[in-house]
Order: sequence, then structure tokens, then C-alpha cells
Amino acid sequence: MSSQPNLLEKVIAFVDERVGLKTLQAKMLNEPVPGGSRWAYIFGSVLLFIFIMQAVTGILLMFYYVPSADHAYASTQYIIHEVDYGWFLLSYHFWGSSAMVIMVFAHMSQVFLWGAYKSPREMIWLVGLALFGIVMGFGFTGYLLPWDQRAYWATTVGVEIMDKTPIVGDFMARFLKGGATPGQMTLSRFFVIHVMILPAALMGLAGLHIFLFRKAGPAGPFRGTPEELKAKTDYFFPRQIWKDMVAMGAVFATICSLAFIEPVVLLEEATPDPGEYHPEPEWYFLFLFQLLRLKIFSGEFGQFLGAIAIPGVFMALLAALPFIDRSPERNIFKRPVALIGWIVVMATILIFTVSAIINREFLD
Amino acid sequence: MTDQPTQMSPVKLGLAVAWPAFWTGMPIKIVLCLLLLAMGQHPWEFPGLAFLLLLSIPVDIWAVGLSGRTVLLERLGVEPPASLGLTLWWQGAALAATYGSLACFLERQTIAGSQAVVARILDLELLKVIPIAERISIELTAWGSVAAVVLLALTLGGLFLFGKLVQRQADAASPAAASYEARVHQWDLMRVPADQPLMLTVFTATGVALVLLLWAFMPVTTPHPHESYKEEKKAAPPLKPTDALQKAERVLTQAEASVQTLEAKAKKSKGKASEKKAAAKQKKA
Repeated sequence: MSSQPNLLEKVIAFVDERVGLKTLQAKMLNEPVPGGSRWAYIFGSVLLFIFIMQAVTGILLMFYYVPSADHAYASTQYIIHEVDYGWFLLSYHFWGSSAMVIMVFAHMSQVFLWGAYKSPREMIWLVGLALFGIVMGFGFTGYLLPWDQRAYWATTVGVEIMDKTPIVGDFMARFLKGGATPGQMTLSRFFVIHVMILPAALMGLAGLHIFLFRKAGPAGPFRGTPEELKAKTDYFFPRQIWKDMVAMGAVFATICSLAFIEPVVLLEEATPDPGEYHPEPEWYFLFLFQLLRLKIFSGEFGQFLGAIAIPGVFMALLAALPFIDRSPERNIFKRPVALIGWIVVMATILIFTVSAIINREFLD
Repeated sequence: MTDQPTQMSPVKLGLAVAWPAFWTGMPIKIVLCLLLLAMGQHPWEFPGLAFLLLLSIPVDIWAVGLSGRTVLLERLGVEPPASLGLTLWWQGAALAATYGSLACFLERQTIAGSQAVVARILDLELLKVIPIAERISIELTAWGSVAAVVLLALTLGGLFLFGKLVQRQADAASPAAASYEARVHQWDLMRVPADQPLMLTVFTATGVALVLLLWAFMPVTTPHPHESYKEEKKAAPPLKPTDALQKAERVLTQAEASVQTLEAKAKKSKGKASEKKAAAKQKKA
């Protein structure tokens, strides 16, 4: 038996000496997880995985997509009908965006219910809220790119809602549209925001989010004595990584299944005449869209109230949450206001989303 | 968790086994669904459904056994019986077939009944002024609340019955190690395989095989082409070089023959014309 290192070990030692590979590996994998690994902690890792997959499929789609009003629709049809596996890549990208929104909701809910936003993790929560905004921005800007009737009218509705924001609304709407009606300028701007600005912002903020998380450390479960938590404390590797990998595999398989069950099929090419089509936004904005159909939110002031004021106040409340709720109690069953508040918000979103779907059937 | 085993209500016990068992089996079932979909089979239609249900049996036995053993050892402090997974699975399957069917029937009846009652209330003359968007949301909230309460009660009932089945297994089991640390250690040894490199190799090989199967089964072009999408490319006939050369030769021979015929005709007409000219000259003279 020779104790001489083999070629691979030599290469690893060479890189380690210059990069500090082993220190990095220890830092990445030996994070203590109080109370042991849990399935409840998978959401952050799964979100990162979905984002990487969205970036990969998005880059592959960009090889064929032409971001011009004349060719966007035709190039998307070409991707679906002519490019080998193009239909699957596009459908995966489409369903991946919905999965990202669902995971963001799940991640935020878990952090909220477990009281993990409390001191000293306020900054993680705030950066997380900014990331939530970016994910919604991805959905909004990406929806226009196929340039079919659905894309065109969802954007028209979205920009009209944005227009109602005081002071900056008019400027933002004009900037995004780049003209009286959505056209080439709108498509170019949405494309740049979707493939350049938002990915860069997301990468920067996600990096900051992870850095702050590592600095503060995991919050751990909200139940259990310190002795119990210590007895079950584990390192990030291998059990949490294993759980994360299983969850990523399950999410990947689910997105692929959805791509098979409901692949992307475009409507007719975008025109300034909606014809038979009833404009509506993507499903995760449907609750807001339905809310604006209520009589109480009719008229100029009502629309402002429903589209801007209420969501704005809600987001401001979420941002202020760690500073309002100073109690160290994290057990959700001992925080009745938080529990009831979460149930009410989720039930409202669910009821108005389903109402919008029923309303759609009624209109059709 | 303390050194003393926890006393759990049947509902909590049922939930502690059924919830993780559901999520443990779910990833494998999703992968099976995906493969069926890639093969063009719908997992909710025959024969895909039968195939999925059949493959789900060993998955469920394993998943319910794993979560059941964890709860019995860690929470209840008893040695899990060897056949726990199989026993809980067949008893759970019998429960799902009887109680599950009854619960589904009751829930459907509740939804239909509450929808009818709510619609009748909202059809009252007094309430007809409610605009359509508001009416949809009120109707949904009203019958949805009733249906949700009944669903919750039925779920709790199901968990209670399943918890009783787990309780029966726990009552028949012998006590485990007294200290909590010792039980956690035993629980760890039970879950983590002895030969980890072998497990990782098997998982990697399975993953690679599944990915290859997925790409092999996946259609290259969309299974749902757009109605108005016109295929511009017409299928070109395959090129056979010898045929093409023969055809070209035939065309050239035909062309040569045509040229010769034309030349002969031209010569003839020229000859006739000069004869006519000579005759005309003679007449003039």
C-alpha cells in the first residue's frame, strides 16, 4: 500500500492551497441546525434550485426567441413547434415561474408562522420581502414575451393598475409602455427587465439573504427545551442536504409533470382589439383583479384604494412586522393574532382567486 | 421530548404517522406519474391509474412503516414491531376503503346541499340587487365555509380511527431504551443505512436511469400543436443520385432532340422562303 497521494488528490490539494476549498466546504456544510434537520426548512433551497432552472431554461429559450413585436409571436411558435424539445423547455419555464411564486408564499408563511422574522433576523425578513417583489416582477414581465392576446392584455391590465399609483404611477406606466399602446418599446423594455435587471437584482439580493441567514444562524423549531434541541442538533450535511435534494427532485418532477399535462399553447397573435378574449392577469394576480371588480372598488378612488392603497399598506405592514412584534414568543399557537391574521389573508387570497375563476366561466 | 415517553391522543398519533408517510411516498409517486406522462399515459385514467396504484403499494408500505417506526420509538418509547409497515398499510387501506368512501360521499352531499341552500337564499328578491362579483364571492365563502368545517371534522374522524390503529400496535409493543438520547441514537441507526456509499451509488444510478428514461420517452415535438400554426416546410422527397442523373440525362436528350427538330424546321422554312423569293423574282422579270 502506497501512502503517496493520487493525481486527483494532488489536484484537490493544489486548488485548496490557492482557493481554500476545504475551509469553504466546512463553512458551507458544517452549519449547525438546532433541533436537527426538518422538511420545513427546504423552501429556501428549493427556491434557489427553481431559480437556477429558470435561468437555464430561460437562456436556452433566448437562443431562439426574438424580442421584437414583429417576430416575438412567430419565434415563440417556432420554439413550440419546430425546435427539438422546445415545447418542453418553454412549458417548464412557464410552470417554473408558478412554482417559484408558490414556493415564495410557502417560504414566507413558514418564516411567519415559526416567528423566524424576529430579532436578530429582521434584515433577513426585509431582504426576503424585496426578493418576493422581484419574483412577482419576473412573473409580470415574462408574461408579455410570447406576444399573444393573453400576454398583451394581461400587461395592459397590469400597467393600467400601476398607473393608479400616486406621484410615480404615471411615469412608471409611460416608461414601461413606451407609447400609447403596448408595442415594440414595451416588449423591449419588458425583455430587458426580465433577462437583465431582475436576474442581476435577484442574484445580489439572494446572496445578501443567504449571507444574513448564515450570520444570524437558523432560528430552529419554536417548541422544545434547550436540552432537547441540543440532543437533536445536527449539521447541514448530510441530513438537511438530503431533505433539500429530495424536495428539489420532487419539485422538478412536479414541474415536468405540469409541462406534460398542460403544455404552453399560445392564443392568437397580440392585437389592440381584444375581440372575444376577456383580459385577465396571471393566476397569482387574479385575487387582486377580482377584488377590483367589487363595487366598493369602482371609480377612480376605489380603483386606487383596491389596486394600490390596500396592497401597499399590507406590504408596509409586512415590512414593519419584526419592529412591531417585539415579543420573543415564537410558538404560533401562543400568537393568536398572527395565526388568525395568516388564516384570514390566505383565505381571502383563495376565495378571490377561485371567485375570479368562477367569474371567468360566467363571462365566457 | 423528555426521557419519559409521550402520551398522545389518537388524532395526534394518526397525524404524526399519516402526514410524514404521505410526504415520504409523494416524491416517488410524482416520479412514477412523470414517467407515465412522458410515455403518453395519463396517471388518472386506465391503464395508467392501475399501474400507478399497483406501484404505490410497496411505496406506501415502506413510507408508513418508516414514519410509524419513528413515532413508536421516538415519541412513544416502544420497540416498533417488524411488520409495522405492512400491518398499518393493510389496516389503513381497509379504513380508506370504508371510512374514506363514506367521507367522500358525505362531503359531496354537503357541498351540493350547501350550494343549493346558499343559491336559494341569494335568489331572494331582497338580495337580488347584489352585483355579480360580490355574489360569486359571498356564495363561495358561504358554502365553502360549511364544506371546510365538514371536511375538517371528517379528516379528524379519519385521523382518530387511524390513530387507534397505531395505538393498538404501540400497546402490543415492548418498551424501548429508557433515555431519550439512547432512543434518538437508535432511531438514527434505524434510518441511516450502514453502507452509505452503496446507498449513494444506487440513488445516483437510479436518478441517471430515470433521467435517461424521461428523455427517451419524451416527445420531440409538441403533443398539442396550435390550431392555426401552418407547417411551412413541405416534406422534401429523398434524393437518389443515380435517379437524378438519369433524369437529367433524359431531360438533356429530350432537349437535344427538341433543338434538332426546331433546327430542321427552321431549315425547311428557310428553304421554302428562298424558293418563294426566287419564284417572285422570276415573275417580276
